[in-house]
Amino acid sequence: MLNVETMSSSQQYIQLYEEQRALLEQNSCPTMNAQRSKAAQLLAQKKLPTRRNERYRYFNVQEAFAPDYGVNLLRTLPAIDPYATYRCNVPNLSTQLYFVVNDTPMLHCAPNQPTEGVTICAMREAGALLQEYYNKAVNDADTVAALNTMLAQDGIVVHVAAHTKVKHPIQLVNVCDAAMAMMSNRRLLIVVEEGAEVQFLLCDHVAGKSAYLTTQVTEAFIGRQAKVDFYTIEENADNVNKLALYYVQQQAESRVAMNGVTLHAGHSHNHVNVQLLGQHADHFTAAAVIAGDRELVDYNIVVEHVAENCNSEMLYKYVLDDESEGAFAGKVLVREGAQHTTSQQTNANLCVTPTARAYAQPMLEIYADDVKCNHGSTVGKLDETALFYMRQRGIPETEARLLLQHAFVNEVLQRVELEHLRDRLAHLVELRFRGELSKCAGCKMCQ
Amino acid sequence: MLEIKNLHARVEGKEILKGVNLCIGDGEVHVLMGPNGSGKSTLSHVLVGNPKYEVTEGSITFNGKNLLELSPEDRAHEGIFMSFQAPTEIPGVSMTNFMRAAINAKRAYFGQDQIPAAEFLKMLKEKRKLVGLDAHFMSRGVNEGFSGGERKRNEIFQMAVLEPLFSILDETDSGLDVDALRIVADGFNMLRTEKTSAMVITHYQKMLDYLKPDFVHVLVDGRIVKEGTAALGYEIEERGFDWIKEEVNNA
Ligand SMILES: Nc1ncnc2c1ncn2[C@@H]1O[C@H](COP(=O)(O)OP(=O)(O)OP(=O)(O)O)[C@@H](O)[C@H]1O
Ligand SMILES: [Mg+2]
Repeated sequence: MLNVETMSSSQQYIQLYEEQRALLEQNSCPTMNAQRSKAAQLLAQKKLPTRRNERYRYFNVQEAFAPDYGVNLLRTLPAIDPYATYRCNVPNLSTQLYFVVNDTPMLHCAPNQPTEGVTICAMREAGALLQEYYNKAVNDADTVAALNTMLAQDGIVVHVAAHTKVKHPIQLVNVCDAAMAMMSNRRLLIVVEEGAEVQFLLCDHVAGKSAYLTTQVTEAFIGRQAKVDFYTIEENADNVNKLALYYVQQQAESRVAMNGVTLHAGHSHNHVNVQLLGQHADHFTAAAVIAGDRELVDYNIVVEHVAENCNSEMLYKYVLDDESEGAFAGKVLVREGAQHTTSQQTNANLCVTPTARAYAQPMLEIYADDVKCNHGSTVGKLDETALFYMRQRGIPETEARLLLQHAFVNEVLQRVELEHLRDRLAHLVELRFRGELSKCAGCKMCQ
Repeated sequence: MLEIKNLHARVEGKEILKGVNLCIGDGEVHVLMGPNGSGKSTLSHVLVGNPKYEVTEGSITFNGKNLLELSPEDRAHEGIFMSFQAPTEIPGVSMTNFMRAAINAKRAYFGQDQIPAAEFLKMLKEKRKLVGLDAHFMSRGVNEGFSGGERKRNEIFQMAVLEPLFSILDETDSGLDVDALRIVADGFNMLRTEKTSAMVITHYQKMLDYLKPDFVHVLVDGRIVKEGTAALGYEIEERGFDWIKEEVNNA
C-alpha cells in the first residue's frame, strides 16, 4: 500500500498539470513540452517516492511536498534585479555570474557576456541543442525527476565548445525569493564538448522566510577528454526543502569532480547519477556537510562504471550537531565488461551531539571480475583526548571543538583545486562553525 | 609555587591517588618515580585538570590560587604545562595553527592583542631550533604521523613556545634516542629560570644525570612513600622499588 498523502501529492500535481497544461506549455518551449505527458504518466503510475524507495530512505518526500505551494505558471518575472540585490562574489575569483530566481533564469540583465566558446542561454531560446540533449541523461525513472520534467517551464543551457579552456568559472546562483509558499522546478543542461575545460560554481540560497520546495534537475554531458569541476555550495535555511538531482554522462578520458559544501540546509536531498561511458574516464565526487539544528542532508549517489578502465572516488564528510541528520548512500555499480575498474568510497561522520544522527550506506554492486573497489565508513564523536590536549595548551574548549570540526571536513576542502575558492570556502566553513554565518538573508558568498 | 595536600582522586570510579602531599618551590626541579601503575600520570592529569579524573578530597594551590577551581585552559594560562606521556594526534590541525591558537588564547586571557604574524613565525623558528625540530613539522597536523621520539621533541618545543612557570614532564625521556634525549634535556635546562619549576616523571637515571633534580619522590600505590635527593633516584636505578615497598609494609 502506498501512503495516501503521497498519492494525493502526486495526484495533486498531475491534476495541476492537466488543468493548466495550455498555460504551462504556452510559457515554455516545444522540447520541454514534448517530454511532459510521458513524465506525467510515469508519475501517475509510480507516484512520488516513499521511504520504502531505496533512494529515498532518509528523505521524507511526502512531508516535503505536503504544504500548499504556489507555482509560477505565468512566468511572472521576479520584481528584483538579482545582480544588484545579491552581490554574489568570491573575492579574487572573478566568475561569469548568472542568477536563477525561483525557477526563472535571469540572463538578460546579466552584466557580463559569456567568454569565447561558451554559450549560456535560457532553455526557451536554446533550440536544436536542447532538442538533442534535453532529458536524455535522466535514466532512472525517478518520479521526482518526472515531476520536474512535467512542470518545469524554463532553465539554463550551458554549452562549452570543443577544446575551449574557460578561464573564469561559470557561476550559477539559485535564489529562492517569494512572498508566499512556493515551488520551483529548476532545470540545468550542461554540454561540454571534447577536450574542453571548465569550472562551475553552483550556489543555492534562500532570501525569504516563506516555505520553499525546489526540485532541480541538472544534466551534464561531458565529452572526450573534457575536464569539468562542479563546486556546489548550499546555504539554505529551515524553510527550504530541496531535491537536487544530477545526471552526469562522461565520455572516454574525461575527468569530472563534483565537490559540494553544505553550510546550511533545510531538508536537502542530493541525488547523483554518474555514468562512465568511455574508457579511462575519471569521476571524483565529494562533499563537506555541516549541519545543525534539525537540518537534514542526504546524499544518494550511484556511479555506474559502464566502460573499462575507469576510476571513481567518493569522499563524504559530515559534521552533525544538535539534532541534525546526515545520510550518505553511495553505490558503485560495475557493469558487466567494465574490467579494471578502480573505485574508492569514503564516508566519515562526526556526531558532535548524542542526538545527531548519521546514516552511512556504502554499497558495491559488481558484475565484472577484474576490479579493485574499496569502501569504508565511520561514525564517531569528537576525540576527547585531542580536545583535552588542546585545552591543556590553553585553547578554550569552544575553540578546540571548532578546530577539530574544521579539521574533519578540511580533507574535502583541500581537494578544491581553485586556490581562491578553497580559501574562501575554508573561511565560510569557519564562520559557519562559529555561528557567525547567519541564516541566509541573501547570498552569503558576497560578504 | 605548588602545594598539594592530601589529594585523593579517582578514574572510572577507581581510587588511584590516596592522599598525596607534595610541595614544589620556585626554581626547583622535582623528580617523581614509582612503579608502573602507581599513579604518576594520574597525578599529572589531575594537576592539569583532565575531566576524566575526579578529585574526591584534598587541595592544590598554585601561586596562591585554588587550582581545582580553574578550567584546564585557565590552568595553562596561569603557567602550567604538561608534556604528555602519550601525546595525541590531531589530524588536520596544523602545528602552526595549533600554536597560534594557543598563544593567542593566552594573550587574550591577559588582555593582550593577537600576536603579529611576523613575530609569531620568528618565535616558532627560534624555538624549533632549541629542540632541533625541522620546519616541515609545522605544516603537518599536530603529531600526525610523528614518530614516538618526534612527538616527545614536539612536546618540549611547545613548552618552549608557551614558556610555562610549572612544567610536568611525564616520561618525556622514554622513546628518545641518546642524541635526542641530550637535545631535549639541554633545551629543558636552557628554559629553566629561578621562577620556573618542574615535576619530572622518569624511570631512568639518564634524566637524573642531565637535570640534576633538587628532590626525588617515590609514589607507590597512590601515596608518596619516600623522599630524598638525587641520590635516592640512583639508588632506585640500582635496587628497584621492592625494598621501598617492603619498608612501607613494615612500617
Ligand atoms: N582512564 C583510565 N581508565 C581506567 N583506569 C585508569 C585510567 N587512567 C589510569 N588508570 C589506572 O590507574 C592506575 C594508575 O595509572 P597511571 O597511568 O597513573 O600510572 P603510572 O604511575 O603513570 O604508570 P606508568 O609508569 O606505567 O606510566 C593504573 O592502574 C591504571 O590502569
Ligand atoms: Mg604514566
